[in-house]
Amino acid sequence: MIEFDRVGLALGEFSLKDISFTVRGGEYFFIIGPSGAGKTIILEAIAGLHVPDTGRILLSGKDVSTIPPEQRGVGLVYQDYSLFPHMTVEKNIAFGLRMHHLPSSEIQRRVEELLSRFGIFHLRSRETLNLSGGEMQRVALARALAIDPQILLLDEPLSALDPGMKEYFIQVLKEIHRDNGLTIIQVSHNRHEILSLGTRMALIMDGRLEQEGSVRQVYASPATREVAEFIGYENVIDGVVVSSGDGECLIDASGLKLRASCTVPAGQGVTFCIGADEVVLHSPQASLSGKDNTVQGMVNAITQSGYLTRVVIDAGATLSAVIVREMADEMALRVGSPVLLTIRKNAIRMIGK
Amino acid sequence: MSNPGRESFWSRFRRPDSTLIAFSLIGSTLVIFSFLALATITLTQLADLTFLVRVATDSRVINSIALTFGAGLAVVFILLLFGTPLAYVLARTHSRINSLVEALIDIPLVLPHTVAGIMVYLLFMQRGLLGAPLKDIGIVFEDALPGIVMAMLFVSMPFYVNTVREGFQKVPLHIENVARTLGATRFKAFVLVVIPLSARHILNGSVLAWGRAISEFAAVIMIAYYPMIVSTLIYYRFTTGGLKESSAIAFLMIIASFSVFLVIRIATRYLGSYDDRV
Repeated sequence: MIEFDRVGLALGEFSLKDISFTVRGGEYFFIIGPSGAGKTIILEAIAGLHVPDTGRILLSGKDVSTIPPEQRGVGLVYQDYSLFPHMTVEKNIAFGLRMHHLPSSEIQRRVEELLSRFGIFHLRSRETLNLSGGEMQRVALARALAIDPQILLLDEPLSALDPGMKEYFIQVLKEIHRDNGLTIIQVSHNRHEILSLGTRMALIMDGRLEQEGSVRQVYASPATREVAEFIGYENVIDGVVVSSGDGECLIDASGLKLRASCTVPAGQGVTFCIGADEVVLHSPQASLSGKDNTVQGMVNAITQSGYLTRVVIDAGATLSAVIVREMADEMALRVGSPVLLTIRKNAIRMIGK
Repeated sequence: MSNPGRESFWSRFRRPDSTLIAFSLIGSTLVIFSFLALATITLTQLADLTFLVRVATDSRVINSIALTFGAGLAVVFILLLFGTPLAYVLARTHSRINSLVEALIDIPLVLPHTVAGIMVYLLFMQRGLLGAPLKDIGIVFEDALPGIVMAMLFVSMPFYVNTVREGFQKVPLHIENVARTLGATRFKAFVLVVIPLSARHILNGSVLAWGRAISEFAAVIMIAYYPMIVSTLIYYRFTTGGLKESSAIAFLMIIASFSVFLVIRIATRYLGSYDDRV
């Protein structure tokens, strides 16, 4: 178990401010936040590379705030992999074992085991600088796991990989987490990685903890507008509750009227968010009886992004929707054309409630 | 290793680039200047080989060159021992005091060497702050080898410390951090990761410092006119025996220094070749 107990840490202009969170043993925990928010510093503090100015860091209940990294047994993989360029793949992986003074036969055995496990046996004598991104990633993971850590810290480990490799490594990380019974803390910007791997997460902004909770919980009810925007909600809208009762309320947001599951009393202002993929588009002629919220709107802008089409709609408030490109072509969407859209009641998530 | 940013000399002419051609012409002034200086002294010396051989076999000349090179080596050794840790601290810390320390180290760069000599003399003379107590334990600096080494050390330390500091700064902190999480103490990470990855900078710093040390004259004669290092000997022979005798020693010094530099460069051609790739 890792505990951050009111940790404050200043590094030049930047500081972590009074951060507290807990990562339970065996969790796959994500730390997310904008660039420069302090995510890497938190990982480095867990690894022992920074001593907190205030507060404590506890590993398995023991205060390790001043224990140096070499005595913590925490594996760390950076985004740039940070392989030792003056050593071969084999020597990179053996480095930690050598530092722990294992007998050379044992080092040999464990290095070979890791080389095989990560499918890099054929690269063992290669210099690390000539490896591909995926190969470097495997070496970095093998090197970090060689010392058999209880905790593995991953600083955006997949961000430099192409999409195919990313999927492959998501599976690899899943297996490592399952097979080694590790506690993994990963810094990421990627929603897909978080939803595929994470059990719980914390969101850091400007050195402050904005929200901590299970991945499901954070996505279902973001604590603030900033959290909602950061975790990928493209529709974050202010409105006023017009009527309320039976766990349901009617919200008016600049003329856009939506029914949502909420218990906020009438007359009160609310901020809510809707995922762009939850805004479902239909042709204006479609018959949509029985849907939660059916709204008429007009297409304001259309942008293509790979297989997806992003459509900005004026429906009183501005809404963003994402649909597959084929569907957009089928609907013959044009800027200015009318469109019907539906939004499930449960897709409207209240912020801060 | 091929470098795509660099073109071979002749390729410039196959694909004329007016800027590069103009720069080559302007820059060649310096090359011609250096070449003419070398050619003049070489031709003058080769014209009287018998005299050159006589000077080259003069024990005072040989001893002087050996003394100069030896003192320069001692300076490099001291810098490796004391300058390396200082360079590491300067590279890895960001304290306000760092600028002050860097300014202190750089002082010899901006001072006339006679001033550097006076500073070293005042400190190490027999009544000096360090000279007096060290004299009590038998180490004398005035007109002695330790004085030569101290004067050379003072003027050459910025060359070593600055070069090595840059080398350490080029080693990504992440690499060092990972080494530490894998069980290496900071010192072990320094020895096993930082030093190998900045080996070329350490070598360059040593060569620069050695070159600067053996070329020093003004600072050295302030504290130790005797025993004569090569610069002092050349000056002495110039004022007593004339140009012919002093230029023969100068030529020998050129040959000796050039040979040493060439050997070091060839022997260490591949040392730390990952320096520029980390």
